[in-house]
Amino acid sequence: MRQLLAVAAGLAVLAASACTAPTPPRPAGVAATPTGPVTLPAPTGDHPVGTTVLYLKDASRPDPWNLDADARELKVTLWYPTGQRDGQRAPYMTPKESELLLKGSRITGVPYDTLSKTRTHAVEDAEPTGRRLPLVVLSPGFTKPVSTLTSLAEDLASRGYVVAGIDHPYENYATTLPGGRVAECIACDSDGDPGFGMGVVQGRAADVSFLLDRLPSEWDGSDRIDRSRIAMAGQSIGGASTLAAMVKDPRVRAGIDMDGTTYARIPKSGLTRPFMFIGSPQHVPGGRDISWDRDWKLLTGWKRWVVLTGANHQSSTDLPLLGSVLGITLPYGALSGARSAELTRTYVAAFLDQNLKSQRQPLLEGPSSRYPEVRFCPVACGRS
Amino acid sequence: MTSFRAAAAGLALLLAAACTAPTPPRSQASAAAGTACARPSGPLGAETATTIDVIEQAYFCILDRYYSGATLDARSLLTSGFIALTQELNRNGRDVPEATMPALTGDRKADWTAFEAAYRKITDQVPELRDKLAVVTLEAVVSALGDNHAQWMRDVKPPPDSYDGDGYGLGLQVNVTGLQADGGPGVALPPLFVTAVQGGAAQAAGLRPGDIIESINGSAPFVEGKATPAIAALYPQYPEARPVRLRLLRQATGHRWTATLKPGLYPQDPAALQVVRSELLEDDIAYVRLRGFPSDAAKRVFNAITRLRTGRTLSGVVLDLRGNGGGSPSEATRLVSAFVHGQATGYQCAVDGTCETMRTDDTVELLNLPLVVLINSDCPSACEHFSSAVKDLRLGRLVGTRTAGAIPGPAQSYLLANNTLLRFPTTRHLGPNREVIDRIGVPPDHHVPLTPEDAAAGRDPALAKALTLLHK
Repeated sequence: MRQLLAVAAGLAVLAASACTAPTPPRPAGVAATPTGPVTLPAPTGDHPVGTTVLYLKDASRPDPWNLDADARELKVTLWYPTGQRDGQRAPYMTPKESELLLKGSRITGVPYDTLSKTRTHAVEDAEPTGRRLPLVVLSPGFTKPVSTLTSLAEDLASRGYVVAGIDHPYENYATTLPGGRVAECIACDSDGDPGFGMGVVQGRAADVSFLLDRLPSEWDGSDRIDRSRIAMAGQSIGGASTLAAMVKDPRVRAGIDMDGTTYARIPKSGLTRPFMFIGSPQHVPGGRDISWDRDWKLLTGWKRWVVLTGANHQSSTDLPLLGSVLGITLPYGALSGARSAELTRTYVAAFLDQNLKSQRQPLLEGPSSRYPEVRFCPVACGRS
Repeated sequence: MTSFRAAAAGLALLLAAACTAPTPPRSQASAAAGTACARPSGPLGAETATTIDVIEQAYFCILDRYYSGATLDARSLLTSGFIALTQELNRNGRDVPEATMPALTGDRKADWTAFEAAYRKITDQVPELRDKLAVVTLEAVVSALGDNHAQWMRDVKPPPDSYDGDGYGLGLQVNVTGLQADGGPGVALPPLFVTAVQGGAAQAAGLRPGDIIESINGSAPFVEGKATPAIAALYPQYPEARPVRLRLLRQATGHRWTATLKPGLYPQDPAALQVVRSELLEDDIAYVRLRGFPSDAAKRVFNAITRLRTGRTLSGVVLDLRGNGGGSPSEATRLVSAFVHGQATGYQCAVDGTCETMRTDDTVELLNLPLVVLINSDCPSACEHFSSAVKDLRLGRLVGTRTAGAIPGPAQSYLLANNTLLRFPTTRHLGPNREVIDRIGVPPDHHVPLTPEDAAAGRDPALAKALTLLHK
């Protein structure tokens, strides 16, 4: 069902789209006064971070949304460890992308270019460093460009991962393609159709496989990647797409779904590769969304299902960090932007360190006094 | 399409969510003073048990808000409810000596008081049946309206192993709609045959379009030319899962056999579920299939036609509304508005005869293209609103078979105290000539039915007729 109209409160405003969901109860918030540009939290790992953009074109299939495009184009943003500390920081997004994202999300009252002023840490086109680096593919929520996962991406790169964030064109409000073309959200026209989610994740799984096929020839730094250590993570339908990509492509060794209702059919024989659900409190076992309960039974390898108290659908994205410049107040009891980012970075990195780097992570064994918000399902999290 | 019990035909498209999102606690809807029920605001909370108080709320809600609530004989609602109550007692082998209908006077409030007293006395003796009795009673009160768009919608959880876009049932479509099988107004004609195999049990059993269904669970689908209730078994709704035994005939080979199909979930092709699909036919005709009227239906149709029109001269548009589940009346009006301005597409009338005119939206750009609309008995509600406007305003030709006759008026939702919804029309829909369409349907200008031979051969004679008309 369409939820494109901004819901009044809190970050729900950006929780737009088909596949989001949980609209939080309306809080009694106090409107915040918009402040100056936001600087994303500094990456916590040892390495400085570089970033670059690739444009790929899959001529073997037509674009699933733009009926006039006979090839599927992808925009891929790479984040990676570099030795270069100085240089031009990469833009968060273009003013035009900011405008289209704010307009699409029905956010008014702030200048349309607001998000383009967000300060990042990655150095544009810096030389990559390191060897045998694990690769993490990131896929964003519906209507969101992958730049909304920059805080997570920069942090992972600083910890020694190559991160490949995919903008799936026509599935978000703005993706800039070669030649300055801007792909807008054609998929938004049909996001209420039955079978829509299933169609999106099938298309994204194909996008991921194409990226994995082509990365070695498209990026000079790719010889630094250990192609036997590939994982994927995504928010909302990007998380659902992670599961779909794993079902279809065995190269993806492990995956994380951050609060996304899932659509892919796991074979009855089960999926043995490691998987983790990270959810907001709406995504507890026995909740209205049946998809995680359904899939949990078919995940037969290492798996975790954690729910974060005080989280909402956007907690794993940059949006809670950006709320102050968008005039959005967090509901009472909600995680702060900084805390949301810390929890997301910590648990995603723990999962990847354990499953791609074989470093055992006590954090993933159970509750931690440092992160009391994290509840381990299905055993220790009743319906809230 | 997935169509669980709560999503009846015509509403299914509007309700089917692309993503099943968890719904949070709902802020209480505030009931306006003096009325029994209010429109829901925000997502629904968790459903609680249906009680006599909920039935009371529904009864007064109908009398307050239903199209003819002010004038109908309220005793008919209570009688219907009481019949269902006693039937359910008997069905469970628990008849109660005091289960006799109280005398009703025609005073709505006093009659309710008498009904409630009798109801409590009866149900107190069978506490283990309390919930079940409340449900059948409320269902019967609503069905007493005899209104296709009046329904009580409960929170039915989808099957735990279902996926987005899954269908539930036998996996086949036949030439008799669920509405016709359920005693609806449309006339079904023999023979009963498969029009499409969607997946599931029907596909596994090797059924094909054109196969004739000679019996269902041992009963004939038609007796003396009239459809029998046996056909309804072809439309099981979750959680119904009893196997259905069919005797089949494949005419081309004369092969007769029996297949037992078990209802279940089956995957469907996401592309086939798209609400709008379009293609260019014969180099100059825009073919657009519209499966429903969701909130952006007209815009999506216009976009599709604009795209097909780019760089070429079209000689016409075929709008395929067969299997269109209906939806938003304003979208039906907007779609009409691409073919004519300054006209009424229909009327919404109160029981006292005062009507509101549904006018074309003259900001919509005219397409100025010849139009043929494909219709059949699986075209209810907004689909008939559109079709009747095309016919009455002479905007194009209708080809196929008569529409469903299921357009009493747009349904409005009201929230009941146990977080269930009551839906019914508050006005009556009339066509542009102020004619009643409900139960009658819209007849095609060119009657082109589908035969089993057509279905078996993959022919679409209605589409062929449409192309002929546009190229004349």
